[in-house]
Amino acid sequence: MNEILLAIIQPVLLLLAAPLFSGVSRVLRAKMHTRRGPSVFQDYYDLIKLFKREDVRTRDSGAPFRIMPVLFLATVLLLAMGVPMITRFCPIPALGDFIVVVYLLALPRFFFALSSIDSSGSYPGVGGIRELLASSLIEPSMIIALFAVAIATGCSNIGDMGNALATLSFTSPIAMVVAAFAFCIACYMELGKLPYDVAEAEQELQEGPLAEYSGPSLAMIKLAMSLKQIIVISMVLAIFFPFGSAVDMAPASLALGLLAFLVKMSIVFTVCALIENTVVRVRFKLLSQHTWMVVGCSVLSLAFLVMGI
Amino acid sequence: MNLTLLSAAGVFSIAGALLSLVLYRRESVAKILSCCCGVASSVLALGFGLLSMFGPAQVFRMASPFEFADFSVSCNPLSGLLIAVIAVLAIAAWIYGFSYFDEYRGRGIGKIGFYMNLFVISMIFVVAVDNAFWFLVFFELMSLTSYFLVVFDRSEQAQRGGFVYFVMAHIGFLMIMIAFLIMANAAGGSFEFADLRAVSVAPAVASVVFMLAFLGFGIKAGMVPFHSWLPLAHPEAPSNVSALMSGGMVKIGIFGIVKVCFDLLGASGCQLWWGFIVVVFGAVSAVFGIAYAVAERDIKRTLAYCSVENIGIILIGVGTAIAATALDQPVIAALGLLAGLYHLLNHAMFKGALFLSAGSAIFRVHTRSLDAMGGLAHRMPWTAAVFLIASVAICAIPPLNGFASEWITYQSLLSISFDAAPLVKTVAVLAAASLAVSGALAIVCFVKAYGVAFTGAPRSDRARASREAPASMVVASVLLVVICIGLGVGAAWVAPAIQGIAASVLGTAVGASAVAVGSELVNPLSGTGVSLILIAALLALFVLLLAGLRSLARYRAGIGLRDDPWDCGYLPEAEMPAATTSFASAARMFFEALYRIRELASAQKEKVLCLYERFVGGIRKVEPFADRYVVDGVIKVVDRLSQVAQKVEGGDYRVYISYVVGALVFFLILTVVIG
Repeated sequence: MNEILLAIIQPVLLLLAAPLFSGVSRVLRAKMHTRRGPSVFQDYYDLIKLFKREDVRTRDSGAPFRIMPVLFLATVLLLAMGVPMITRFCPIPALGDFIVVVYLLALPRFFFALSSIDSSGSYPGVGGIRELLASSLIEPSMIIALFAVAIATGCSNIGDMGNALATLSFTSPIAMVVAAFAFCIACYMELGKLPYDVAEAEQELQEGPLAEYSGPSLAMIKLAMSLKQIIVISMVLAIFFPFGSAVDMAPASLALGLLAFLVKMSIVFTVCALIENTVVRVRFKLLSQHTWMVVGCSVLSLAFLVMGI
Repeated sequence: MNLTLLSAAGVFSIAGALLSLVLYRRESVAKILSCCCGVASSVLALGFGLLSMFGPAQVFRMASPFEFADFSVSCNPLSGLLIAVIAVLAIAAWIYGFSYFDEYRGRGIGKIGFYMNLFVISMIFVVAVDNAFWFLVFFELMSLTSYFLVVFDRSEQAQRGGFVYFVMAHIGFLMIMIAFLIMANAAGGSFEFADLRAVSVAPAVASVVFMLAFLGFGIKAGMVPFHSWLPLAHPEAPSNVSALMSGGMVKIGIFGIVKVCFDLLGASGCQLWWGFIVVVFGAVSAVFGIAYAVAERDIKRTLAYCSVENIGIILIGVGTAIAATALDQPVIAALGLLAGLYHLLNHAMFKGALFLSAGSAIFRVHTRSLDAMGGLAHRMPWTAAVFLIASVAICAIPPLNGFASEWITYQSLLSISFDAAPLVKTVAVLAAASLAVSGALAIVCFVKAYGVAFTGAPRSDRARASREAPASMVVASVLLVVICIGLGVGAAWVAPAIQGIAASVLGTAVGASAVAVGSELVNPLSGTGVSLILIAALLALFVLLLAGLRSLARYRAGIGLRDDPWDCGYLPEAEMPAATTSFASAARMFFEALYRIRELASAQKEKVLCLYERFVGGIRKVEPFADRYVVDGVIKVVDRLSQVAQKVEGGDYRVYISYVVGALVFFLILTVVIG
């Protein structure tokens, strides 16, 4: 019963806190640029403003364009119910299988790319296709890396996998390190940050497909994108760094788990901001080579696993 | 009861075939009668399939005109499943035909009715018969009737596709026949599957039989590298026949592999490397099939290539089952076979829906080129909705059915890798990797297909003028897509039923290792579960809530409609939106190697064709020798004889009368002498 309560609270809290996370990350980057930067609440102001604006679409756009913002946000909320964040187990285990999580991420991606073509603009279309192709290699590397972890730990539930890694009940440690490395890079690419993406620049990869969106729809997509970032990061944390997360539903351990989650999150955001400030944007053509390298990395973890080291 | 249903189905089909041939000139009557007979026959066959699926296994033997081959029919869960799948597809295809065949008015609707009725019933009988001879007869009938449907259009492309199909189908046929003959030889000359089943052959012989059957049926299934006929032949047939071919006929290939391996060679036992071969062929088919589908510009060819991918996924499941059986892991074997059979069922449904809705689009736009469609979603909303849902299903996105079967495939690969030998692990992880890559590429492929054909602005005048397809075509495709949704959301109830079928094929019992607990699909070995119905319900809830929220916000702020997209301030032009080439070029950038392999392969094909030309040239040079000595000699003798005959047979009737009189006298004398 308590788990179900947690499963309901988790997405609601995340929904409320996601703009704060992205606001903090914006401020962090501004500080590194030695700019003053916006307020940490700036993303809330943006969202509120967008919700008040007119929702514009072209006459030719159809169902995918209209349903995508809602579906995107609904899917990430669903994921937020299943992925463990402050606990070491999934609040709803039936939503916590790693294959389900990765494939559920494909649902908004499908509609994201489709809506970009549906908007009949040329820039969104190009952006949508690029986004799609990039993830056509990122998604497999996530699956392959986690497949290696699943074989080594004997289970495929995110919570159980993290637990097995934390309690050292697994085989092939080197393979796990390589898998963790590959999975982290794949997730970093999935986040849509530099050097693979410039979220602020229109006509670029991730925001490009959104060029035709406005008003409440755009607000929902922005919200969903920052929620998705947190979920992808929580997945990394839950599997490879489950330290400090609550092992049971006792209030004290939950509070400790929340604290640990916040600390880990801020570390990840700092690292991301550091990376973003030290690299330049790569050309799209290079992206294919980089993604292949990640695929190679994850396959390497499988090779180590087969060798049993 | 079972047999009555099956024979009634046969009678209806043959009646439909003959009636549409007899009423060839009255096309409307022929169309309605053949479709009605087809629907009746398919409904009866569906009844037979369901009875066999859930009833006890039994075999009926009847005398046939041929002494060496009794006509045996077997009712068992596996054949029941296949027949039910084909029958459901056929029902949809016939309902679709009521309006769709109008497209062929003046070109012989009667002929389509004739071939299609025979095609459907031969597929059903191939699966139902329990005798190698009759199996081959119906297998050949199935290939021939589908060949005639492929070349029905008589265009150059259709002729070429049909020819390649014809040749490949017969190479496969030959291999299967040799495999059966080897087994029949071991079984003392009997063609009864019951006798083949009982006999145990040496491992080497079993391997030869298996490889022949695997390659033969693999050609029929369209696995890489024997897939080239599939994207050439399937798109040329009428769209509902394409649905039957891609959804039904290629599955007979899978059925054959499962039947030979687990049923006919059951007494001899599986070998581990068979499983490896099947999994590797499956993995290669999955990746290459979908990569080529991404690069296609033709909507039906895209779907045909995608069938190659899905056959690969099914083969991965089947191969896992074979390997697990050889490793003596019955639970994993049942899981793998469940994955394969479940995906077989799912693929039949969504590929059927996709081909039917693509057919509706072609029916209105009169082209198969995606780039000439565009914006159809506004003009044919039902067709578009069907195509969209089926696309999401085929991309294995939860909570639809494609995901359910792919999840089980992943779980079976995972389970076989726990505590396994390095080689087993290597094959399993490679298969999982190819499954992941093909899943991601499938999304690219179907975003392309749906995006270019159905969304945005129309890309041609015909697309602009199109309207919703006739009711019967919509009903047929909606029927299949509703089944897709049911098979996905109800996975926790469908999967155990198919697991039972898989267990019966393997000769094991499900026991405590059920694949579903409550409303969850569960991997019985690791205990990890997933609840698709929960995902569906929560998604629906969230979507409704958020849509309500957005409408509330929009109510205050309003909705703006523009004629042209903003497009970052540039003036948009008709050629600017994304087309199939945008997908193909981007895909090429990422998957250069896959496409280069195809180019290398087609270069080799040219060389082979050159070789063939040289061979034919050589034969032409050799040919006259035979003429000179054999044919010319015969002609000379005949010539001389006729010269003699000219003397005898002068054309004068008086001479003839004297011949008759002479003959009479001769016979009279003869009787007197003998008497």
